[in-house]
Amino acid sequence: MSLFNRRKPEKLGLSTNSSVSKPRSTDAPHGPLAAELTRLLGPQKVLSAPAERLNYGYDAILVGKTPLCVVLAESTQDVVTAVKSAKAAGVPIVGRGAASGLSGGAAPLQESLVISFTRMTRLDIFAERREARAQAGVITLAVSEAARPHSLVYPPDPASFRTSTIGGNLGENAGGPMCFKYGVSGDYVRGLQFVDVDGDVHELTRDAYDLAGLLIGSEGTLGFITEATLRLVAPPRFTRTLMSHFAEVGQAAEAVSQAIAAGAVPAKLEFMDRACTNAVEDYLGIGLPREAEAVLLVDTDGEDLATVEEELALVEAACLAHGGTVRRAEGELESAALWRARRSISPALGRIRPQRMNEDIVVPRSALPEVVREIRALGEASGFHLVQFGHIGDGNLHPNILFDPRKESSEKVHELAYQVALVALRHGGVLSGEHGIGAMKRPFMRDAVDPVTLGALWAVKRALDPQERLNPGKVLPGDTDLPHGSAHASS
Amino acid sequence: MNHDIPVDQLGPQGEIMAHAIDACVHCGFCLPACPTYTLLGDEMDSPRGRIFLMKEVLEGELPLMDAAPHLDRCLGCMGCVTACPSGVPYGELITSFRGWSEPQRQRTPFDKAKRTAILKALPAPKLFSVAARVGQYAKPLAPLLPDALKSPLDLLPEHVPAMVNLPRFTPAQGTKRARVAFLVGCAQQALAPNFNAATLRVLARNGVEVVIPEGQGCCGAAALHTGAREEALKLARANLAAFNPDQYDAVLSNAAGCGAGLKEYPEVLHGLPDEAAAKALAAKVMDISTFLARLSEDGGLEPFMPASRPLSIAYHDACHLAHAQGIRAEPRALLKMIPGVSVLEVPQGDLCCGSAGTYNLEQPALAAELGERKARNVLSVQPDMVASGNIGCHTQIQSHLRRQDSGVPIHHTIEILDLAYRGLL
Repeated sequence: MSLFNRRKPEKLGLSTNSSVSKPRSTDAPHGPLAAELTRLLGPQKVLSAPAERLNYGYDAILVGKTPLCVVLAESTQDVVTAVKSAKAAGVPIVGRGAASGLSGGAAPLQESLVISFTRMTRLDIFAERREARAQAGVITLAVSEAARPHSLVYPPDPASFRTSTIGGNLGENAGGPMCFKYGVSGDYVRGLQFVDVDGDVHELTRDAYDLAGLLIGSEGTLGFITEATLRLVAPPRFTRTLMSHFAEVGQAAEAVSQAIAAGAVPAKLEFMDRACTNAVEDYLGIGLPREAEAVLLVDTDGEDLATVEEELALVEAACLAHGGTVRRAEGELESAALWRARRSISPALGRIRPQRMNEDIVVPRSALPEVVREIRALGEASGFHLVQFGHIGDGNLHPNILFDPRKESSEKVHELAYQVALVALRHGGVLSGEHGIGAMKRPFMRDAVDPVTLGALWAVKRALDPQERLNPGKVLPGDTDLPHGSAHASS
Repeated sequence: MNHDIPVDQLGPQGEIMAHAIDACVHCGFCLPACPTYTLLGDEMDSPRGRIFLMKEVLEGELPLMDAAPHLDRCLGCMGCVTACPSGVPYGELITSFRGWSEPQRQRTPFDKAKRTAILKALPAPKLFSVAARVGQYAKPLAPLLPDALKSPLDLLPEHVPAMVNLPRFTPAQGTKRARVAFLVGCAQQALAPNFNAATLRVLARNGVEVVIPEGQGCCGAAALHTGAREEALKLARANLAAFNPDQYDAVLSNAAGCGAGLKEYPEVLHGLPDEAAAKALAAKVMDISTFLARLSEDGGLEPFMPASRPLSIAYHDACHLAHAQGIRAEPRALLKMIPGVSVLEVPQGDLCCGSAGTYNLEQPALAAELGERKARNVLSVQPDMVASGNIGCHTQIQSHLRRQDSGVPIHHTIEILDLAYRGLL
């Protein structure tokens, strides 16, 4: 194995708030809204030329509609100005962070104003309160990088955390490997600043009615999170990493169930199948077991080394009992390389087929062996590349159907995706663990949520956004939505 | 990424471009790895955005001139290639696109003159040297000049050294271990002739016989990356004729950009009759650091004299070593072989210094911001010395260290090895 030769991942230039003078569009503003916004905000914050707007129609899974106009907000006040102008013009608004999301949440479905938060990158660390105050455009990993000198970290770690923004993470309530033990993004929010549909600014805490909680995961359909107060924690003193591989996917799932039943609480417990392992190995070449049908990656961590080792031993025993081959990472470098591999899976799948339909199901852990086997069987019967990976520790799986839209039928892909969703629901699971519903899984909502609850969700939406101007066509299914299979990724 | 590009109408370069666009899953992992995105915070100035723009232009949906400002801001640093899990060959895409689109560009007469001047002077070390000398005397006038002329002057060293005539043949000292051909580079002959002199000394000392084949010239990377494809083809063919790979164990370069340039020949000549020759040459091309690291593994290097005092050296990853060629460990390992030397990592080390070939002549504002940031990051680890493996980075970082009133010297990795051999470190 060449894992030892990997260098430590280096820090990136995690800010986009350089003082360098921003180039301005040489064209005159296209359209009345752009003209008004340019007048109010100046030409360097408003994009309306086609070559500029074009780039704000997609996220990491979907290519939506090119927006009418884009505001590159640099402050909450800019957001207020943009929201009020759009309201006056009767134009829908879509918020956008790094657009690394996987449900189409940031991709406009109709002609809209896009508010991009990538220039709102102010970040303050208050070490004595163990808090960070971050503007929406702060890159996720930047919070931990800034907190680390104070011996603090921000645990939520979506795979895209070198790219994704805090605003986007909260909008989708993003998870990540650490979430099994430490909770998802929303669990770290102490307070939010948000701009509502009228352009009013609110400061929310978690007291009384937890309105901050309502905003978290609302995908920009209720308002725009502009700043957040985030809880920081002391990083664990000890971390140990283990990789185990198996000849069959169900064995890996059984090992997971047994390890957790035996009392292990790993910090991270991740699963990838053979296709995923090979795609990542093609990218990184670190010596992953290409022949294995399933790989588990496990971290245990804590303050007490004996406990950390004991938990790792429980996981190891469970893996061995189910036919796994176990390898412990020898040191931080090898561990970092393995986790980088895990984070790379989703985009690396592009090596197999150019397009994919991805899912984000969560099932009870006890059902995992059956679920992964059933999904695998569905894939084999369909003739598509259906691969699986995910945060298996908390039952959150990402089955992905990989296809080439020029050669394979999108309708069949959606039918298969629906079958996969039904497997999850049949075993008592839910559709979205961490990616959000967005546009991609919206049509499945009728299967997942009962009509009474959907009615309540709609009532909330109408209270905060009566005219459906905020990220229209996302999360909640409309009256005309078919039970399933009508949304088509056009990436 | 789905596309509707009329591949057959674009020739062999069309296949290269369409393949790269196919491979992009628009995940956005490249954004923070892109220097212009970190400066500007907008999607059009990110790799993902540029891929989308190129797709639209190739599909005929977007006028080239609309996309051009954003594509021109790309440094070609390949930081995104390292960050890309789905394996998009972005470098091949932007290079092919620039070659394809250049004939359609409408440039102002001043722009045209500047491009011509750069592309003529760079590959001609003697001309470059004369220009550099003239520039040296013009330095005091810099504040009076427009930015386009100021930036090249800023990069010139205080003292432009005399050019060194290099021997066509340097015999191995002691037992001969290998025979290599050496590409001497262009600008570095004028600006830093000691790079090549040091290279010859270190190689000879380690039993390597060095040939500097006649007829070699500029690798053509600067022409290729600015869209001057015909010029690049001409230069590539001259080097194919000069370097016969069968005669050498390796073809060496000590400039990251030139080494990467030679390795690009198979893409440049894709679909043309000399593609096979290009592949044969590219297979033999090696950076000096890789070659020495292999020599070290395969029988060891001559021992270095210890540094006269403990030395902390900040190693700067040249983009065309780290991102374009995947060479990171080798130069660090070589430096660490010198007793008394420790190697420091530069924060944000993956981000380009802003030199990027002719970039600081074409985009002086962005280049200066990146140079300033790089120098700040280098100084933050308080090094005694800086090492890098590329002439462009060398002049850029030197210039920005000086602007921050730092006296920290910068050397090519090979110069440091050479100093250690001579007991001068």
